[in-house]
Amino acid sequence: MPSNKELSAALDIEGSVPIHSVQLDAMVVLKIVKHCRESIPATVTGQLMGLDVNGVLEVTHSFPMPKNNQDSEDDASNYQVQMMRCLREVNVDDNSVGWYQSTNMGNFMNQSLIEHQFEFQQALSKSVLIIHDVARSSMGNINLRALRLTPAFMKLYKEKKFTTEALTKAKLTFSNIFEELPITIRNTALLTALLYELETADESIEVSTSHLTTYKSTASAPANKSVLAPSFDVLDLSLDPYVAKNLENLMDTIDDHHQEQGNYAYWQRSVERENKKKAAYLLNRKTENARRTASGQAPLANEDVDAMFKIPAEPSRLDHLLISGQIDNYCKQINEFAGPTLGKLFAVGELQK
Amino acid sequence: MMDNSSTLHLALPAVHTAASATAPPSLAQPRAFSTSVNPLVFFSILDHYLRRNAGQDRVIGTLLGVRSEDGSEVEIKGCYPVPHLETEDQVEVDMEYHRTMFELHKQVNPKEVIVGWYATGAALNSYSALIHDFYQKEVSSFPAVHLTMDTALTNERLGVKTYISAPVGITSKADNCMFIPIPCDVKYFKAERAGLELLANAKSTESGSTSLLSDMDNLEQSVIEVQKMLERVSEYVDSVLAGTVPANNTVGRYLMDTVSVVPKVDAAEFEKMFNSHLQDLLMVIYLANMTRTQLAVAKRLEKLM
Repeated sequence: MPSNKELSAALDIEGSVPIHSVQLDAMVVLKIVKHCRESIPATVTGQLMGLDVNGVLEVTHSFPMPKNNQDSEDDASNYQVQMMRCLREVNVDDNSVGWYQSTNMGNFMNQSLIEHQFEFQQALSKSVLIIHDVARSSMGNINLRALRLTPAFMKLYKEKKFTTEALTKAKLTFSNIFEELPITIRNTALLTALLYELETADESIEVSTSHLTTYKSTASAPANKSVLAPSFDVLDLSLDPYVAKNLENLMDTIDDHHQEQGNYAYWQRSVERENKKKAAYLLNRKTENARRTASGQAPLANEDVDAMFKIPAEPSRLDHLLISGQIDNYCKQINEFAGPTLGKLFAVGELQK
Repeated sequence: MMDNSSTLHLALPAVHTAASATAPPSLAQPRAFSTSVNPLVFFSILDHYLRRNAGQDRVIGTLLGVRSEDGSEVEIKGCYPVPHLETEDQVEVDMEYHRTMFELHKQVNPKEVIVGWYATGAALNSYSALIHDFYQKEVSSFPAVHLTMDTALTNERLGVKTYISAPVGITSKADNCMFIPIPCDVKYFKAERAGLELLANAKSTESGSTSLLSDMDNLEQSVIEVQKMLERVSEYVDSVLAGTVPANNTVGRYLMDTVSVVPKVDAAEFEKMFNSHLQDLLMVIYLANMTRTQLAVAKRLEKLM
């Protein structure tokens, strides 16, 4: 039972303690993995529910959202409302604390994700986005990351002004868009009992019914391995598929980046041109005025120069930020993958001797 | 259960296959009926049990899943709880809720159908029969599966049993049925297996919590496991050689098979393969790091602007 202090902290609606870590229930982990796994290669989303206690965001339940997002907004929110109502009847915490998304090879940094997370975070300050990478998780280790948008980024996004000066003023770079929170996983006591149960051989679950089903071969007993017998997927040495795909994605993103740079350069050039034209015009005016005063005519009125030479607005640097962030992500992924692979490689070398 | 000497005639649920549809009905053989369960279902059931209202002894819910073409293999993939009320003389199940939830779940997973129901607590009483009858109507042509999970931990086990029902007795009342246990298996995706292992790590800690492992840590753990296994095996082999433990032919054969799995590659060939693999990897790492460095430099420059 939570102590009085914890209870009062939990009831602290204003949320004065910022979130510093995320605690997932074991069931939530399995649900997310199952849902994302079933729907590859499409990316899917779902909602998370739970409670925020003393700076730790506890996620106790989750449910998947149907993936036909082309329907009206109402359908999706209708589904959500109905689901939460039903869950409330069975005493599930119906307090929404975030959402999750599956991704393939880490390509999740795009505008729609940021927008969705922004709206979420605006509505609920204590919310988190969980990213589950399906491709990486098939290599023997679950990949889950808990992300939030940094306050600096939120402020800037609200104003929707992503000029270079605004970015430098806020000291915002691509590594500052998201902040990552550490995740812990929690098991209840009954769950622990279940896990012990699963670990011992499967005979407890399998019931022999040989007297009723004589035509079923009962020779399946030796093939029974316990559910949690060690699996060695992580020791698989295949290099090509993962790295090749990662590199492909990386190259695509660099092409996008290149295009962004091109746009920016084009804008800069056009600003230059406008400025030059403006300067030329002013110079022209001055000489004209000087000539006129010299010849005794009234100088021409100074027209509004700025209205004549419109300087094009700076394109939003948000895409640039996102693309750089994505590139960084891919490179980090390659690094993280390479570490264990080198280890495995040398182990095989030793084995051969 | 059947310790009297007289026999009991059971009408096993006849599962019609495409082949036996052509054969005369008397020869229609009911297939072995078995189920496989996704561990997520267990976790959900436990979670529901933990959240039950005060005073409720057992909780029930619906099982969703897919079944094979001939109906003899059922795979239970998901579940959702259904509120119900059990008093001394009657039992109520919220059918509206059950329908609504099923509709909602169908939107996400159109392939899953209702395959049965679950209950916590190992006892099977007449209420179980009534509820089972209701679910049988929902499942229509195939037998509904009933899964019980013994949360009271009798015999210090979290026993899980699956049943189908068969009518027994003279009158065909709804609550005259016998629950026949059927074999049940646990099935999961590979990725879920990694998740389960992670959770299993947590069970040895005091508070039951664990943090996510990075890839390196995961590898380290697996390597340690392999090391331990190798140690055990080499101990066994040593003791057999020393004569302390009688040699077992099957074990010896298994060991020989295992050791011979290491491919016999010519040393020079292996050297070449190893080096080229290593080179590929290093080159990719180098490129990735260069890209990162370039991005970092650009970041600094932007800040200076």
